[in-house]
Amino acid sequence: MSDSSLIISISHSFDEFDLNVNETVPLEGVTALFGPSGSGKTSVLNAIAGFARPTSGDIRFGSTCWFSDTKKVWIPPHRRSVGTVFQDAQLFPHLTVRGNLDYADRRAGSEKTGYRYTQIVSAMALEPLLDRHPHTLSGGEKQRVAIARTLLTRPSLLLLDEPLSALDNARKGELLPFLETLKSEFALPTIYVSHDVDEVSRIADRVIMMEEGQAVAAGQTDELLSRYGLEAGRNPYEETSTLSGTVDRIEHDLLAVKVGLATLWLAADVQLETGTPVRLSIAARDVSIALGKPSGISIQNMIAATVRGVEPTKRPAFQAVTLDVDRQILRARVTRKAVNDLALETGHKVYALIKSATFHP
Amino acid sequence: MPDLSSLWLTLRLALVTTFVLLLIGTPLAWWLAQTRSRFKPVIEALIALPLVLPPTVLGFYLLIAMSPNAPFGGFWLQATGDTLSFSFTGLVIGSVIYSFPFMIQPLQAAFEGPVQQAMRTAASLRASRWDSFFTIAVPMSVRGFVTAIVLSFAHTLGEFGVVLMVGGNIPDRTRVASIEIYENVETLNYADAHALSLILLIISFLTLFCVFLFNRRFPAHVRL
Repeated sequence: MSDSSLIISISHSFDEFDLNVNETVPLEGVTALFGPSGSGKTSVLNAIAGFARPTSGDIRFGSTCWFSDTKKVWIPPHRRSVGTVFQDAQLFPHLTVRGNLDYADRRAGSEKTGYRYTQIVSAMALEPLLDRHPHTLSGGEKQRVAIARTLLTRPSLLLLDEPLSALDNARKGELLPFLETLKSEFALPTIYVSHDVDEVSRIADRVIMMEEGQAVAAGQTDELLSRYGLEAGRNPYEETSTLSGTVDRIEHDLLAVKVGLATLWLAADVQLETGTPVRLSIAARDVSIALGKPSGISIQNMIAATVRGVEPTKRPAFQAVTLDVDRQILRARVTRKAVNDLALETGHKVYALIKSATFHP
Repeated sequence: MPDLSSLWLTLRLALVTTFVLLLIGTPLAWWLAQTRSRFKPVIEALIALPLVLPPTVLGFYLLIAMSPNAPFGGFWLQATGDTLSFSFTGLVIGSVIYSFPFMIQPLQAAFEGPVQQAMRTAASLRASRWDSFFTIAVPMSVRGFVTAIVLSFAHTLGEFGVVLMVGGNIPDRTRVASIEIYENVETLNYADAHALSLILLIISFLTLFCVFLFNRRFPAHVRL
């Protein structure tokens, strides 16, 4: 088994979080590393590619050890049979498309078996672009060149680091078929980093979900995405909500804003007249939920609300709770555990505790 | 007609200094462009010192260090049988230090950011560090190299204070053009001062003009 899998068992300390990943990835098909930005997906990729050395652990590619802190093994990136395609293509600006491709082809060395140059060029439809300079290419074209260039190193493992994220929707639509060609025609084991449900469901065979430096779940794509309610095309939660209100009065350097029957107290760095209509932006993560009106708490802003719905988010540990505040929508992001402990359900009367709000421009 | 030997000496000094600076400056600028060492700001400040220090201060310390009684100067005398102060080699050492920031800063700026990213990309394409330095970093930094070389050369052409302190005023050995001009003025030989000054002015202008022409002509895709 170990001869046909990539074993990633690494720990690394960052300022913001600790990375801890223990996964065995079969060396076939496409495995997505899926999670919100800042969850450590790219750090895992960098460790596999050899751009960053984890504090401890092992990385083994089949029977080859790429990194082991106990055995003091560290294979530098250019000696690993892995190819990386970066978010922003990273074509060499002083070389033409052909020059970029040849750069990789010349360095493939004795491993120049398998796919021929012309086959790779035609799979990415690059024939008309060969004599162009990178700065004359569109984002999607650059990414196709980058993919072909990486294939020309004849890698045994392909790493794609959010290859579509720098593109607008139209360009994404153009490039996705090429990624599917890549998968069907070249059959390279691939690790695909993404935070996009659509891409993952279209391309990946299996998914490893990352959250705050941990791999929190892994499984077959369809099964895992549906377990978390992440069907393609669905945007499971909005990060902020907007409430309308009017300025009521100013007291203790605070502005009292009436929202329906409730009053919110906000620090105001703007001068506003009584009666001025205002709109408030409230981040979902700044909203907590209590079953009764709490006392002895520093949070001053509490609004009676009714639960309209509870939905999963892209991050398995959190759920999105939609609240009705006097016929306005307020969104809260709370942990799945809290939803269970409070037994939150549609129709429940609760209090929304608002930690902070900003005036909407 | 002024004595042109001082001019040849000046050109020779500027060429040798620039060459030495290129050899020392390239690895140092490369290290500065990618290091996260906490000593980086100290090194950067030291390198930039000649920009603000009066050349006479620099020249004074160098003169003391090069004296046969000082450890460095004494070592040099033992090793080569020649004194450093008031010699061409002493002038080169002084000029290298004096023009250091003019070589380092453009190179460091050229090596930072995109070039470092491109080095990582090259590694992912199986290029070793040396391979990618010469095939990626150097071609991407051509403008930085041209700027650094020309500025170092032109700056050395025009130096006066350090040379005067370290080299004195020995014909054919340490009397460079700027000092010859000064001496001509002192001795009220304005005609020769005019001639030499004009030559220096033209050389300096042409040198800088070539850089700007190069920057304009050079293909936009390497512009960083």
